[in-house]
Amino acid sequence: MAAHPLPVENGVSTRVWSASVNGKSRQIIIRDHDILLDVLRDNVGALGAKRGCDMGTCGCCSVLIDGKPKLSCMTLAVETEGCEITTVEGLADGHHLHPIQTMFSECGGSQCGFCTPGFLVVCAALLESNPSPTRKEAQDAIEGNLCRCTGYQQIVDSIMEASDIITSEERLVSTTRPASNPHPGYGG
Amino acid sequence: MASDKKEMVGYRQQPGKLDFTRPGSGGSSSISRERESDTIPESQGGDLPQPWGPHRHDDLITGRVIGKPTPLIDSKWKVTGQALYGDDIRLPGEIIGRLVRTDRHYARVLSIDASEAESLPGVLGIATGEDAPHAFGVLPVTKDEHAMAVEKVRHIGDIVACVAAEDEDTARLAANSIRIEYEDLEPIFDIKDGLKDSENPIHDRGRYHIGESNVQKRVFQRFGRVQNIEDSIASHESSWTFKGVNHGFTEPHAVVAHWDPRGRLTLYTPQQVPHYVHRALADVLEIPMHQINVYRTFVGGGFGGKSDPFPHEMCAAILARKTGRPVRITFDREEVFWTNRGRHPSKITMAIHADDEGRLSGIETDALIDGGGFASFGHVTTYYNGVLHTAPYEIGAFHYTGARVWTNKPASGAMRGHGAVNSRCAVEVGIDDISEKLGVDPIDLRLANLLPPHSATITGFRITSMGMRECLERVRAESGWDEKFRNMPLGKGIGVGCGFFISGSGLPIHWDPNKFPHATVHLKIDMDGGVTIHTGAADIGQGSDTVVAQAVAEVLGLPMDMIRIRSRESDTSPVDLGSYSSRVTFMNANAAVSAAMQIRSELISAASEITGVDEKRILIGDRRVYSKDDPSNGVSYLEALHKAQEDRGALLASGSYRTPPMGKMHKGAAAGLAPAYSFSAYVAEVDVDVETGKIKVEKVWAAHDCGKALNPLSVEGQIIGSCHMGLGQVISEEMRYGRTGNLLNPDLLGYKIPTVHEMPEVVPIIVESNDPEGPFGAKEAGEGPLLPILPAVCNAVYDAIGVRIQELPMTPDKIYRAVESTCRKGGFESPLDLPSPRLVLTSLSKTLKERGAQHSIRDKMRRLESEIGDYHNGALFGNDPETPPEELDPDWHVQVLPDEEYLEEPGLAGSAWLHTERRHRGEVE
Ligand code: FES
Ligand code: FES
Repeated sequence: MAAHPLPVENGVSTRVWSASVNGKSRQIIIRDHDILLDVLRDNVGALGAKRGCDMGTCGCCSVLIDGKPKLSCMTLAVETEGCEITTVEGLADGHHLHPIQTMFSECGGSQCGFCTPGFLVVCAALLESNPSPTRKEAQDAIEGNLCRCTGYQQIVDSIMEASDIITSEERLVSTTRPASNPHPGYGG
Repeated sequence: MASDKKEMVGYRQQPGKLDFTRPGSGGSSSISRERESDTIPESQGGDLPQPWGPHRHDDLITGRVIGKPTPLIDSKWKVTGQALYGDDIRLPGEIIGRLVRTDRHYARVLSIDASEAESLPGVLGIATGEDAPHAFGVLPVTKDEHAMAVEKVRHIGDIVACVAAEDEDTARLAANSIRIEYEDLEPIFDIKDGLKDSENPIHDRGRYHIGESNVQKRVFQRFGRVQNIEDSIASHESSWTFKGVNHGFTEPHAVVAHWDPRGRLTLYTPQQVPHYVHRALADVLEIPMHQINVYRTFVGGGFGGKSDPFPHEMCAAILARKTGRPVRITFDREEVFWTNRGRHPSKITMAIHADDEGRLSGIETDALIDGGGFASFGHVTTYYNGVLHTAPYEIGAFHYTGARVWTNKPASGAMRGHGAVNSRCAVEVGIDDISEKLGVDPIDLRLANLLPPHSATITGFRITSMGMRECLERVRAESGWDEKFRNMPLGKGIGVGCGFFISGSGLPIHWDPNKFPHATVHLKIDMDGGVTIHTGAADIGQGSDTVVAQAVAEVLGLPMDMIRIRSRESDTSPVDLGSYSSRVTFMNANAAVSAAMQIRSELISAASEITGVDEKRILIGDRRVYSKDDPSNGVSYLEALHKAQEDRGALLASGSYRTPPMGKMHKGAAAGLAPAYSFSAYVAEVDVDVETGKIKVEKVWAAHDCGKALNPLSVEGQIIGSCHMGLGQVISEEMRYGRTGNLLNPDLLGYKIPTVHEMPEVVPIIVESNDPEGPFGAKEAGEGPLLPILPAVCNAVYDAIGVRIQELPMTPDKIYRAVESTCRKGGFESPLDLPSPRLVLTSLSKTLKERGAQHSIRDKMRRLESEIGDYHNGALFGNDPETPPEELDPDWHVQVLPDEEYLEEPGLAGSAWLHTERRHRGEVE
């Protein structure tokens, strides 16, 4: 679907960009050359998408566009007209974290956490398409993301644990529940 | 809630009247359970084994969290995208700041014309060096930075001016339209040129000059008996080149400055050392420190690269003051490389000698390090390149000359493993080579030359706990070393390397006659029972907040959920020196423990008052305070708390930590002093393609002695992460400078950080040597684990193809060339015909094994017995262990200035001593 062009201002053509970000539909006036990452951070307020390099080398800006992981710093906003975009903020269901989020926290997949949003969306996409990946498949999935803190090992551990949860319904309930309990650790 | 009890709504918080399943009410049962004995140390009558003996904090163990894998306390923020880093701070009315960076290597700034920029619509403020004449720097002895260039620019990317505008596009446009006129000066790029006299030294530093040269700092140290070196039978000599390495943290620097309506400045910045920024801001802005609040945002990785007060932080504050609006400045990745502060490019020559008994009779090191344009931490780095390899081995003589020079490149600074990494690599590779020359196994050689626990190194560092031996033994066993070493086919190899690092530095950066503590922690507990921790320690992702919370939770017997931490703002946190030198766990958790102990004793006296049980017989357990003899006799935590609060309200406590006095008296004796040291040993297995020169590190067994793993999850994370960072330096990472001094790869495409595919499988092995002064026995785990990976890989590559390469990173082209020349020299047709190195053991091997076994017993006694004598380095060479050798042996040097004889034939860095010191530039003494 083509975005709606608006009049040209100062030699820059602008248009209304409509897309759904984390389940909420947005109409925003953008310039043709606006980068998706900028629109997400500055206009939508989805600060979970991080800027690490701005040139497609770190993966911190990864978001899901129609379920596929893409580098938002390498994507023009206009390209995503009408798409469904998911950033890290869109992974959890209320207090119920996505299993990959819980496991990143539990297994040390996140240290400084700056690379984490990018990894999480990539991993979520992986687990969506392949709920029980091998370690090798998990490694292949995150090859485009840099992490300077963890050495990746605990990230791959997190993916494997999350896959365990996803593939066994029962554990899903018990492991993701605590996040919905404002007082984890107390009876309940 | 699954409980079938009636849900109570609006219950009153009265002592003893609470539903015990209520959060924070004092445990899940109204009756104290016997404590699980496997969490109680043997010294306290429990079953928790303590092979390294009891610890002074044993009686504080409640079995809560210490030693259990604990997710980071802030990890839920990180995984939900709610963690706010520097660029995520968006204040209402913010404007964007942009720095004007020079394109000159070295030049005098003649004029700055900002008229065009000023006239652009949307430009709100412009500042130049004139707006901030005061110099600053992280070390008070070398303040040589300015917010923006004053007089000169010193490297490409140095800041000349800054602008603030309504939006980023305008700010960039304005920055580009500022016209600067320069007079170019002769730049220097080669580290060796820094040693020479120059017409325009890069810095004029007032009253202290080393000739007219660009030498920023020079060090000379000679310890021990030179005769020992002369008696040696085998020597290793090497000459290394190490390239500059950048921290490569994922979050580029960013800062937000805001002057509030009352005229106070709040600076939001991802910083490792908020306190030093606080000081520098006060100097530069000429306002008192109490008018500044430094707010540490989440930090997207530091590794030493965010541990200087930075010019851009000053610029943001200056622009915000000028415009009256909050100013946000965010770096491009390229700017991160201009700011740098990464590991120093270095030239290190090293000689290691061994005598006929397989003792290390001497280490001679000469290290010339390239500081780039500014001093940063360089003063310390210059020392660290030498003094941090005086352990873990006992050595007969130590001779170090080091110098740091300024060049026209982005400044080097502190990076994980500060100053120790490169020279450690050289030492460990040297020991591998020596053991080959002696015909012994390198692990045996190391095991027979270790300093014991509770000893002093040749330069007088005080070693307390020491787990080096266990680290070596564990990696040897787990890697299958004895079967593999020098036994694998061509192209496959295994190598070992060790590490030694400080756990906190003995002296604070700012000299303080008032004996300020290094770390302070405040606790506040009010009616609700939750504990608020105020600390200034900077959590940069390593998990310091978590460890401090753990320490408090443990002592008070509370779950982690009842602990909340406020560590971000200088307004509310006590001063902490920051996250560098691997000091945080050691110092901050110690401070936290001492604060928690005060609260603990108040709770115990309150409980004693209620129950009538003697205070000495009272224990704290799972949210209960009760009698040791009769656990059913006790009160809930809240009951005790509310009793203690009678007539006074919230309980407050302040705990602090300061290092004990230690070390020798010679000049520079304080550099490298630490209250504890960490040790590590790695074995790496590699696969080298002899035809293409490509290295693949297959597996690493990584043993690290962190004293006590307070949070094993984090310790393992640090070990693996360190392997990753160190691996980058060995195989691919380098800041590449072209022939004309330009940095060729200021981006993450050309600067090659290992991806998941380059990472080997790492087997983290935690060794717990139970440090007597560390919190619950803990030492550092953040930096030390990086050191051994470099030499382990280098040694493994040698084991695989029989070629030693003394230049890092060992990229395929270097290996290829080295293999080619070896083939040519050896007359081999194809690299596939190269022989793999093999080990032929000599009779010395048996001597070493025996000595290692004896020392193992000696070490065990020294750590378990309560009465032990002193042990000074030199005992292995026949000196009296109890007396510092220089007191008995007239030939034992303690020398920190070069003599005439040395100056006749100085080493490369040593030649810095050929210059005479002068008071002012141009003056001759
Ligand atoms: S910011 Fe997009 S890949 Fe680095
Ligand atoms: S957790 Fe810090 S970069 Fe990945």
